[in-house]
Amino acid sequence: MNFIMTFIEKVLMPPMTKISTQRHIMAVRDGIVASMPFVIVGSVFLIAIALPFDAWKELIKPYAQTIILPYRISLGLISLYVAFGIGYNLAKSYKMDPLAGGIMAFGAFMMTQLPVNVGAEISKIIGDNKLGVVGENLTAFGDKMGLAFPLERLGAHDMFVAIIVSIVAVEVLRFCRERNLTIKMPDGVPESIARSFALLIPVAIVIPVIWFFRHIVNIDFGVLIMMLFKPLVVAGSTYIGALVPVFLIDALWFCGIHGDSVVGSVARPLWTMMIEQNGAAVLKGLPAPHLFPEQCLQWFVWIGGSGCTLGLVVMMMFSKSTYLRDIGKVSIVPGIFNINEPVTFGLPIMYNPIMMLPFVFGPLIIGTTTWLCMAFGWVQVPYILVAWTLPAPIGALLSTGFDWRALVLSMFNLCLMTAIYYPFFKAYERKLVADEAAAATSTEHYQL
Amino acid sequence: MKILMVCAGGMSSAMVVRAIEQEGTKQGLEMKVKAVGIYEFEDEIKNGWDVGLVAPQVRHCLANFQKAGNEANVPVIAMSPQCYTPLGGARALAEAKAAVAK
Repeated sequence: MNFIMTFIEKVLMPPMTKISTQRHIMAVRDGIVASMPFVIVGSVFLIAIALPFDAWKELIKPYAQTIILPYRISLGLISLYVAFGIGYNLAKSYKMDPLAGGIMAFGAFMMTQLPVNVGAEISKIIGDNKLGVVGENLTAFGDKMGLAFPLERLGAHDMFVAIIVSIVAVEVLRFCRERNLTIKMPDGVPESIARSFALLIPVAIVIPVIWFFRHIVNIDFGVLIMMLFKPLVVAGSTYIGALVPVFLIDALWFCGIHGDSVVGSVARPLWTMMIEQNGAAVLKGLPAPHLFPEQCLQWFVWIGGSGCTLGLVVMMMFSKSTYLRDIGKVSIVPGIFNINEPVTFGLPIMYNPIMMLPFVFGPLIIGTTTWLCMAFGWVQVPYILVAWTLPAPIGALLSTGFDWRALVLSMFNLCLMTAIYYPFFKAYERKLVADEAAAATSTEHYQL
Repeated sequence: MKILMVCAGGMSSAMVVRAIEQEGTKQGLEMKVKAVGIYEFEDEIKNGWDVGLVAPQVRHCLANFQKAGNEANVPVIAMSPQCYTPLGGARALAEAKAAVAK
């Protein structure tokens, strides 16, 4: 037992917490966080068209494409938000003008995108064929469309391009500033004008370079980077790949470190990509490609917070120990909304050898039941991102587009995990009850 | 006393905020306590706080927070895990006071 604790604390924790506070990783994390309000609101519209009532589905069918537009401009365009967010935050961390960083990153990312000339493409397809009225209509349509960016590429598909290009753009900005490669306006020039001139040289470096490689040499960054990340994405859906984050997050929480925040700072770009692509696939009527997005953890494993502590809290509420009862009572409401710091630090679970086995290894068991259900198609794979503070069974329902089996799995895992906690909880309770009895007879006051 | 707390998203610390406020009012102090997420702390600490309290689960970011605190001339300390519950108000306030007195 001690060996595991030392391993977690000395080997696992230091490098992971170090990575999560690295400047660029933090900028990526904050950039994605900034887009979340849009994503959560946009996803409500996806939930709306998934409501499980046939009459409703029939009613909205003609308007479905219109209804999901807020979804398409949020998660569907995630790369745009992420590019601006990363540029802004990275520049801010260097104490440079954040707005300059944001627009630099945004512009640089857009330069990696290839607009399609719809008119030209259509006339290429029609060629010399005489299609009569159809041909005329097609040509007119193409001319009206002009240049168009395929929206698909601005979603998760090119998100890693957005991340990398944004970082590069801000680093160029910083390089120019440090080497004094900026055009300085004399005093008295309004700040907004001076600001735009300060960006001139960095933009003159970034835009032509990306333009050259993307549009002249014709390197498709999106396809290239997807190829590089493919093994990681595939691994994320395998059994081991799904459970690695579960273990890491709980091991860190056991040391009282916010595991989701640390692991998420690295994994969240990947998780965001997974849920976006799942949503896009389901909208097209295809099966969701990624078995284990973050929502699988959220709704089937972290029920009541990391370590699935909701059942534990309920047991605490009815405990024989006064202390456990008090902590249980204040922990239940936050627990329903997946906040469990009062338990983690109050019980405490942190560094508590009795609670280590169920807290760190129990979630691997319900992670397994979850993965099996996803792998065998017994439960719809989550494809909608909903706010993590919803009670787990409701979140499970919404996130899977109202699959009742998701609700069953969520409840099943909660019961299973409660049973896993039970013997350990009892052992700890006995110890506390004995301590409390001893304290009552002595003058020593039990201090929190 | 003006206390700024920081945790991952500013949510769990919101519960401790109330506990600290109640404890402070009990002691007859005029209290202002606010909880923010890690990405807001750096900006918020500049706005005239007496002390910054770092929740235990984000203490790995303490160095960053303290840097921001130094620039704003505000002491920033890591809270002990024991006071990070809705029942830990008294102890949390004591830790905050000690940090200000230093």
